[in-house]
Amino acid sequence: MNTTRKMSRKDLFWLGLLAFFAVIPLTPWFSHSSFAQHVMIQVLLYSSMAQAWNILGGYCGQTSFGHSVFFGIGAYGTGMAVVKFGLIPWPGILAGAVIAAMVAVAISYPCFKLKGHYFAIATFAIVEIFNRLFMVWYWVGGAIGLDYGFTEPGWKNFVWYQSKVGYFYGVLLLFVLVFGIVRWIEKHRFGFYLRAVREGQETAESLGVNSTRVKLSAMALSAFLAALCGAFFAQYNYRVDPPMVMSLDMSMKFVLITILGGLGTFYGPLLGAALLIPLQEYTRAYLGGIGGGVDLIIFGLLIVVVVVYQPRGIMGILDRIVNRIRRSEGGGK
Amino acid sequence: MATFLQVAFDGLLNGLLYALVAAGLSLIWGVMDVINFAHGEFLMIAMYFSYWLGFIWKIDPIISSVAGGAFVFIVGALTYRLVIRRTIGKSAMSALLATFGLSMLIKNICLNRFSPNFRLLQDTLLGGKTFNLAGIIIPVPQLVIGLVALALLFVVYRLVKKTRLGWAIQATAMDKEAAELMGINTERIYLLVFGLGGACVGIAGGLLPSYLAVHPEVGALFSLIAFVCVAMGGFGSIPGALLASLLIGLVEAFAGFYIAPVFKYVAVFGLYLVVVMVRPRGLFGW
Amino acid sequence: MKKSLFSKGLLLVLTAFLVVGAISGAAVAEEKVIKIGTLFPLTGPVALAGQRCRAAVETAAEVINNAHPELQVPLAAQEGVLDGYKFVLVHADHQGKPDVAKSEAERLFDQEKVWGIIGCYNSAATKPASFVAELKQRVFMCGCSSSGALTERDFKYFFRMAPTDKTESLEFVEFIEWANEHKGSDIKTVGLIYENTEFGKHAAEEGRMAAEAGGFKVVADVAFNPGATNLNSEVQTLKAANPDAVFGACLGGDYTLWVRTMKQMDWLPKVALNYCTGYQDPIIVGQLGDDANYFMGGTGYAPEFAELMPAVAAVEEIYKTKTDPSVPFDSDSIQEAVALLVLAQAIEKSGSLDPTVVAETLHANEWESPLSMGGKVAFAPGGQNIKAMSMLTQLQGGEYKRIYPVDLADTEPVIPMVPWKDR
Repeated sequence: MNTTRKMSRKDLFWLGLLAFFAVIPLTPWFSHSSFAQHVMIQVLLYSSMAQAWNILGGYCGQTSFGHSVFFGIGAYGTGMAVVKFGLIPWPGILAGAVIAAMVAVAISYPCFKLKGHYFAIATFAIVEIFNRLFMVWYWVGGAIGLDYGFTEPGWKNFVWYQSKVGYFYGVLLLFVLVFGIVRWIEKHRFGFYLRAVREGQETAESLGVNSTRVKLSAMALSAFLAALCGAFFAQYNYRVDPPMVMSLDMSMKFVLITILGGLGTFYGPLLGAALLIPLQEYTRAYLGGIGGGVDLIIFGLLIVVVVVYQPRGIMGILDRIVNRIRRSEGGGK
Repeated sequence: MATFLQVAFDGLLNGLLYALVAAGLSLIWGVMDVINFAHGEFLMIAMYFSYWLGFIWKIDPIISSVAGGAFVFIVGALTYRLVIRRTIGKSAMSALLATFGLSMLIKNICLNRFSPNFRLLQDTLLGGKTFNLAGIIIPVPQLVIGLVALALLFVVYRLVKKTRLGWAIQATAMDKEAAELMGINTERIYLLVFGLGGACVGIAGGLLPSYLAVHPEVGALFSLIAFVCVAMGGFGSIPGALLASLLIGLVEAFAGFYIAPVFKYVAVFGLYLVVVMVRPRGLFGW
Repeated sequence: MKKSLFSKGLLLVLTAFLVVGAISGAAVAEEKVIKIGTLFPLTGPVALAGQRCRAAVETAAEVINNAHPELQVPLAAQEGVLDGYKFVLVHADHQGKPDVAKSEAERLFDQEKVWGIIGCYNSAATKPASFVAELKQRVFMCGCSSSGALTERDFKYFFRMAPTDKTESLEFVEFIEWANEHKGSDIKTVGLIYENTEFGKHAAEEGRMAAEAGGFKVVADVAFNPGATNLNSEVQTLKAANPDAVFGACLGGDYTLWVRTMKQMDWLPKVALNYCTGYQDPIIVGQLGDDANYFMGGTGYAPEFAELMPAVAAVEEIYKTKTDPSVPFDSDSIQEAVALLVLAQAIEKSGSLDPTVVAETLHANEWESPLSMGGKVAFAPGGQNIKAMSMLTQLQGGEYKRIYPVDLADTEPVIPMVPWKDR
């Protein structure tokens, strides 16, 4: 009884949040400022990316710095479809995501036997290898990259030029998809397997969980969703080249946002993105023009401070506040 | 044949440079299980330090490298005191993320203070000098760096293996609680190790301005290669890091010359993957 | 309890940036100003060039906004344009990233309400940023991005001042042919060395096409990753192929490393011709000393060109106060100043601030530009400056000597380059 009530409350909150996002474009704040639209879209995009990473990194406990590879493959999927083959982006998006999932399984199968930092550095190495190979692979544009031309804006081509509302709803769909899948996983048996693997492979195996299969499934799903985000990124920026999408910088964003928000928690990626992305965008907008990287100094400092004082991220801070209030309530009684 | 030897020799010299950069990282990693993401920025700080000493007071990089080592020792110790200490015992990722933030901070402070100009010292004792040995051209600055690398690695290795301090470091690395029970001040050991790790990379950075230009982005690739050297060598093993660095230097040179220069880092990172597939804990890991 | 508090926390975070966003949208005072956005890489690997470009635009704005009767530059004597309109610059940083360039361009137009943008140095960043400008039908002035593709898009609001890699490549080949004929240089083979970025790759492709069209054999094609720790295999590859001429596209620290590595390996081609790169950096002579000598490159401006471009020196004094450490103009940054000076003339001439009218005016006329070599600027459809010229220089005794075309030359080129051991 208690659990069902709790569940429904959680669901209500989630639905309320979605409704809140869905009506944002109707507010004057949104419609009057394309920069606010941009920031909002970035928040949703990056929180989806971080959530995709969270499946593997948070719930399953495998810290991958290689997600920009899958993100990049997704971006190249749609980029190739549009620029090279002159198609609509949709088949490219799907192909990119499927290829990303396959590549993810192929490269992580051998890598999963590595532990801790060895695994982390292997994923670094993979990003660098992919980046450099794509830089010289001229069939996909190489160092020059793929540039979108003008097409008819709308859902068919998934580009918009004058207004960003289309992009906003596009990324909201992506957000709902990624977060919805993770919600489902959390409740489903698969989520239990994931956490079992995180807590310890031996224990998991002893409970009858095939840890390799669980990790590979998590990786494939995570890469598939990351690739969808990459496809959106390409459509949004009208351009793909390797440093934009397949770089350690991009990989770090996946990790950073999740950990700042709260590793292995459902709302962590959203909180991390909601803090980090506006901070990044607004500091750059106000301080970037001065030059001298003042915005990046502040950004770096903030990361250090948050990690040092609250390694469990913003979720940890929230939990602590909640606990303190609980305690004081208990004391009152 | 002469070309082959030349390429091999260049590769070895570069490998030694990588070993010098990686030594400090290896030490820190071995003892504290921390990947210092700001390692490349430590190198950059030392390069700037050495550059400014050379530019303002005309001090040669050979001498400034010692000062650079001391300076980065302090930077390392401060980093430990202010940042790393608070992440120990928490999630494995927190130290990594904190140092990532730190690297961003340091890089952009240098950009802010020193401008993005690239700077190269003129007329240093070693700069631009070469000699010819049986048809192989040997650049003096790189040779000196290589020799310093060998000496320093030897000293660090002896320090860890043969001194009382080293035993305390090893004990701390193996089991922190047990070491504390035996009366080792692990806090001080950590501080020292982080400082020493900084000092190693500081010496490397101090020597570099005699042939490599300093700019705020100079550390990025070095730190990446250092990560790979250390991981390939195996968990905190100094001889492992040396062997891995030499291998990486050679692979880089051969792949760069015999395949194509754009592929040299593909080969280096590929080598790492191959090595850890065969030996999941690195060459000298156990 | 827990959830409602949690949701409050979440809402707090969300509303926090809602508020920030609302403030940023605050109205801009309507005065007689023309807001121009500058969009350069102020941080990241090419921050140096970006910061110089920004200083160059500031210099041009200073010249136009204030009365500078002593300068021989159009509009310098009067204050502002259109009877008192002054340029106000809004600076932005794209960090060398195309996605940031795109969103910053949108922000400059929509939030900062700039009238037009000058940028972006990196061709890869200029592409999406100018795409945004074209969509919004706003003028985008590009100083020095060198990718030929930029002006092949038939944009109506895009204008580029600098010559493209193609122009430079053709000039290189022309020069080699001239040297073979008049100097007996006997150059037959060409090697390429370039950073593997969108800039370097473009330059190398144009270089290869031009060389092959001229009947030269390309014997080495060496791409490397910028920010290199060493260039040993790169130079070794060149040395093994031993081309007579090398076309180079290496920037900043990579350029010094390249030169130093060639010295270490005791190898030089007969001629080394550089694109708009590290070769032209005003501080290169100080960094490399004598080692910098005898290299050649396409140069749009160098302080030694004073007699060809007499008006520049006085403007340069202003520029020097805006750079730290103080440097003279270089071929890249001066084009950004030209961009604003030409735009100002076009606004003055069209007598309107309607971007479409100004863009048409820009296309329809030929502009006085004392800061450009040749002194004129005129645009072809697509926005390329067809009067863009560069000439070849060679560093001799630490000075950029003009060597080609012959009618503008002041010095005989030294071919082949003096070997390292004889210096």
